[in-house]
Amino acid sequence: MSQQYSKPEGANLDKDDVVLEVDGLRKNFGGLVATDDATFQVERGTITGLIGPNGAGKSTLFNLISGFYEPDAGTVTVNGTDVTGAEPHEVSDHGLIRTFQTPRKLEGMTVREAMLVGPRNQTGESFVKVFTDPSTVAAEEEQNLEDAQRILEQFEIDHLATQPATDISGGQLKLVELARAMLAEPEVLLLDEPVAGVNPTLRNTLSEHVRRLHEEGTTILLIEHDMNFVMNLADPVIVLDQGHVLMEGTPDEVQTDDRVINAYLGGGE
Amino acid sequence: MTDDTSSTDSANTADRRGGILGALRNPGDYFGSLRRAEQGVLVFVVGLLALLAYGVVSGGLGPAYFTYLVGLVGMYILLTFGLNVQWGYTGLINFSVAAFFGLGAYGTALLTADSSPIAGQFNPLVGLLVGLVLAAIVAVIIGIPTLRLRADYLAIASLGLAEVVRLIVLNEQDLTNGSAGVRAIPGFFEGWPLLETFPQTMPGLEIDTILWETVVLQSSFWQGLLNVALVTVFVAVTFLVLRRAHQSPWGRVLRTIRSDEDLAEALGKDTYAFKMQAFVLGSIIMALAGVFYAHLNLYVSPGDFEPINTFYIWIAVILGGSGSNRGAMLGGFVVIAIREGTRFLGDILPATFPIGLPDMLSIVETTYATIIGNFASTRLLAVGVIIILVMRFRPEGVLPPQHELIWPGTVDSSGTERPERGVRDAKTGDSQ
Repeated sequence: MSQQYSKPEGANLDKDDVVLEVDGLRKNFGGLVATDDATFQVERGTITGLIGPNGAGKSTLFNLISGFYEPDAGTVTVNGTDVTGAEPHEVSDHGLIRTFQTPRKLEGMTVREAMLVGPRNQTGESFVKVFTDPSTVAAEEEQNLEDAQRILEQFEIDHLATQPATDISGGQLKLVELARAMLAEPEVLLLDEPVAGVNPTLRNTLSEHVRRLHEEGTTILLIEHDMNFVMNLADPVIVLDQGHVLMEGTPDEVQTDDRVINAYLGGGE
Repeated sequence: MTDDTSSTDSANTADRRGGILGALRNPGDYFGSLRRAEQGVLVFVVGLLALLAYGVVSGGLGPAYFTYLVGLVGMYILLTFGLNVQWGYTGLINFSVAAFFGLGAYGTALLTADSSPIAGQFNPLVGLLVGLVLAAIVAVIIGIPTLRLRADYLAIASLGLAEVVRLIVLNEQDLTNGSAGVRAIPGFFEGWPLLETFPQTMPGLEIDTILWETVVLQSSFWQGLLNVALVTVFVAVTFLVLRRAHQSPWGRVLRTIRSDEDLAEALGKDTYAFKMQAFVLGSIIMALAGVFYAHLNLYVSPGDFEPINTFYIWIAVILGGSGSNRGAMLGGFVVIAIREGTRFLGDILPATFPIGLPDMLSIVETTYATIIGNFASTRLLAVGVIIILVMRFRPEGVLPPQHELIWPGTVDSSGTERPERGVRDAKTGDSQ
């Protein structure tokens, strides 16, 4: 693929099995246009990378998709349901779970307690059911605890299960966050810079885990600044610049595209 | 005793399972299995109870007043439970504890008292129900606009609410009797078979103690005993409800919200609904304390809404350890000990400094005399000193939550092990 303009401007909108669709999304902060008519699709079963220079609007886009910001225009569709303007918990009810750039600590909980927050729609989350239906609550809790233990083992951090969640390292916290997101059984997983500030060894571990989750059938949308990490994992890669989609292509196509290089290096020819 | 060894801790757990019976069967082992803080608290509480018992036996403390004090302790524990649900579990800053307490008290007072300007003479059970429902409705009304906002806004709004409620009660004389308050509230058991006349039917007992005086148990004592029984039931039921809720997935979501609300949302939890539930539940428990107070004191007035009561409860929660039900009980107990104990300490201590000091240190003598002379009003000083000491040496409170909060029974049966030490000890990074 040595042709420089093998791909058209903007994203590929001819995908077969679309699980997440963003159409004409727009967000202003005062005079600043953070997201400007962003349009793209995420196909089921892919790892889609989302890259772009600093200030390209990647994190804003994540917040718009997951419901933390309300868009000024445009729509977000998850699994065929329009979730534009919905609350974050409503978005995740449709199977879209996100992680955060800085891992969130849960004070006063052990790692496995923090894991148990993950599963969605637990019977025991109803105050009334806790008293009227304790046997169901107990059975679910037991099941969830087993699942948590199994997933911690898959992530090779089961030895941390009973450690205070505030006592583990930043990298381990990233693993816990990913593991907990899996307990929520997402159809689409949004990862916001999963390897930012993580040492190279752990970065490789995380990379393997993301690949494993993909092979197990989870669709992943990934923001990352670490180019090696993205290019090894993601296909396709969507490039964002100044709030809109610059182009979309395979890692090779993206890396050799002049428009992308210009966006990153900020110069004309 | 350290809590580093797992064998100690499993013994601890086993004793906990055995509950009070296990403790009675083998008090030495039980004491040894406790953490150092727990041992300290146990010694403190037992010591204070012994002091009170001595007071009753020696005639220094009237038996009826003693039961009144125990009732107040129970009431404070309820209030502390309520705030603990809101602040300790969920991180909601509520400065209107006194308002919800007052709503409960006025709710039942206006329905049951003979002097009520609106209804009156209903059964206290109706009053109980109305008091709780009233508090729940007000909690929902104040929660709708504020719980969607950041935590600080609830703090401001609740501070305003407390004053608004107090001023309404003070000024709407046609509804509330205004500053005169509501008098002639019946006891809680009025209209109940047997219990209504229990204090009158019990004989006036005279107990000759070996020590100084004869203790006479009159009907006021039996009335007080009934109140103690009532508040014990209230506290026990609330405690059991809260303990189960705290260990449930529901409680876990609340604790997640306290740490990081965005995370809870991202994992699909409707945080607004959870915060509302916690806020309403806490407010209902506060109102329950108010209902009890109305039937204990038999008189309520707008003075009961004073904001100082709110801050006593905050102190109790922080002192005991935010998020811990046992800590809440300890906090309520200590606040009453300070509030009521300072009434007597001034009489017991010598009026002048006991040892002669050189002139250079005369300031010590004069300060001492001032403090003793105004002991009741220096209780706020005592409260302040305690708060500073706790914040300096034990910022997580005296009895912070120690155990993993997972639905009971599931941890052992799924084959995983319990943690080796208290989860929360490490929270602030320093050792006990």
